[in-house]
Amino acid sequence: MSKYYGEFGGQYVAESLMNTLEELDKAFEEAIQDPEFWKEFDYYMKEYVGRETPLYFASRLTEKYGPKIYLKREDLNHTGAHKINNVIGQILLAKRMGKKKVIAETGAGQHGVATATGAALFDLECKVYMGEEDISRQALNVLRMEMLGSRVLSVSSGSKTLKDATNEAIRTWAKEAEDTFYVIGSAVGPYPYPKIVKTFQSIISKESKKQILEKEGRLPDSVMACVGGGSNSIGMFAEFIEDKDVELVGVEAAGLGIETGKHASAMALGIPGTLHGMRSYLLQDEDGNVELAHSISAGLDYPGVGPEHAYLRDSGRARYVSITDDEAMEALLELCKLEGIIPAIESAHALAHCFKQAKEMKKDQIIVVCLSGRGDKDCHTIQEYLTGNKEALNK
Amino acid sequence: MNRIEAKLAELKSKKEKAFITYMTAGLPDMEGCQKIIKAQEEAGTDILELGIPFSDPVADGPVIQDASYRSILKGTNLTKVFDMVKELRNSCEIPIVFMMYYNTILHYGVEKFVNTCSEIGIDGLIIPDLPFEEQGELKQYLGDEKSPVLIQLVSPVSKERVPMLLKDARGFVYCVSSMGVTGQASGFHKNVENYLAEVKNQSDIPVMMGFGIKTAKDVENVKHTIDGCIVGSHFIQLMEDAEYNIEKIKNYIIEFKKQLNE
Repeated sequence: MSKYYGEFGGQYVAESLMNTLEELDKAFEEAIQDPEFWKEFDYYMKEYVGRETPLYFASRLTEKYGPKIYLKREDLNHTGAHKINNVIGQILLAKRMGKKKVIAETGAGQHGVATATGAALFDLECKVYMGEEDISRQALNVLRMEMLGSRVLSVSSGSKTLKDATNEAIRTWAKEAEDTFYVIGSAVGPYPYPKIVKTFQSIISKESKKQILEKEGRLPDSVMACVGGGSNSIGMFAEFIEDKDVELVGVEAAGLGIETGKHASAMALGIPGTLHGMRSYLLQDEDGNVELAHSISAGLDYPGVGPEHAYLRDSGRARYVSITDDEAMEALLELCKLEGIIPAIESAHALAHCFKQAKEMKKDQIIVVCLSGRGDKDCHTIQEYLTGNKEALNK
Repeated sequence: MNRIEAKLAELKSKKEKAFITYMTAGLPDMEGCQKIIKAQEEAGTDILELGIPFSDPVADGPVIQDASYRSILKGTNLTKVFDMVKELRNSCEIPIVFMMYYNTILHYGVEKFVNTCSEIGIDGLIIPDLPFEEQGELKQYLGDEKSPVLIQLVSPVSKERVPMLLKDARGFVYCVSSMGVTGQASGFHKNVENYLAEVKNQSDIPVMMGFGIKTAKDVENVKHTIDGCIVGSHFIQLMEDAEYNIEKIKNYIIEFKKQLNE
């Protein structure tokens, strides 16, 4: 089994983790061959997470923009986003491996909340690493994790955000791997994590493919999803990768604009590097130190990107574009008003690109957008944004 | 001959154990750093690990993380460290090992990096996030007589990986005493003695122990199974506490070496 996606991926970790990764790889490969494992996964997806999620035909968006626009409603999952799909999968794997404890990193807190939820459900001890900055910005999610019985550990090193929380989770994992499973939240990290996350998130595209064939009798022309680390997007792409006529578009966060340097588009600059156990595209300064990402959406605020995305970009199978904070917020408000859905700011990036590209497409073409999460968690950010941009609300 | 291998051969013939220190490059500043290296050579440090600061030092504990962070804020980068070592080599022959993360090398350019190391006299490399399986890219440039040797790290859970890690290893084997990161207070791995003995038994080159060592007393019980030891976090803390007073730093080294070889 190759640990690489072209030149990307690999296992850039300490020697002390190499046996741990090998053990994980073996357990994972065995699990996915075991029908009992999938039976249990499917049970929790249906009964606990609330799948399958609808592939909703957005008639008013369609009316306005032309091509048929479908939304894959991952926002309707338990805990409000796609993150739970992967967490349930990894926690079932952790249990199978006999681990009693789980750890996770979190930025805005969504993956932390999902992991805390899974840990409560399966009675595992859970520690979540979160940057000091993020803890103060996301107090409500900290409370949620604590209510769910997890410990939230404040990380005060480096930039005090997701990147450093991930470093701290890796350090702890290196110490405690014997009885602890590291639940990684995105399609990043050392192999086999990118594969594990893709496997569990691919339920998004499996359902979407079946649903679009039922509704339209054909595959979509274009599939779009936002990309931070890239878990909802790799899940949304997975089943369509072999269908060469389906265009795959990943949407990164351009923050205040790529030219300002304040963005989170690792692909836009295209400089490869190694971080968090993987080789992929990485935001870095002239000395090779990792640069801080910027996005109004905390979930896209990550300096790297999953290695398979880097490969899909280079091989030309997928196309990656970027959307600014302002464009995303405009799309978010439009979805609220036209369809009565408040999306996560992350997902609004994919929507914003959909609206842009739709203008150049024909009426009988089909776009599927992954609506990865709901926007309740973002209301505070949205409020702050609108205070500074009154005109945005009345547009 | 490579300075590390020459030094270790010399120590072996004298039946002495090696004392290796780690310091973050660029602290207290570039000039001060150079002075400390020279002072260390005078005091008897056998090999010097020089840390190239990186923004995301995942294999390091709080002390080295903090030192790394402060050094970056002072503007330290690989090019400046190369310049400093180049100047230092006019008057100093202490074996120097760069301890650094792989991204710094990738960003600089792997081939150019190795060439510069060879040119200015860097003798070894320790790259904690570059396990054996990922070393091919770097190793293709390391064949030259003047090029630095790549130091292999071994952990208490390496077990069946040890023969693979030791095959073709050069310089010395770096045995980490505990799981996790540098500078932990929690003590050594429970089976540290057996583990070190096993590695020593299989190794043709000297075996050094690092992670969590403060004084020669800490290694007293395992001294017979190792060829030397590495002090990092504690050494950095000590220099910081002593406000980089050269005499205090030298005294620590002299005392440690004396006890190590008693």
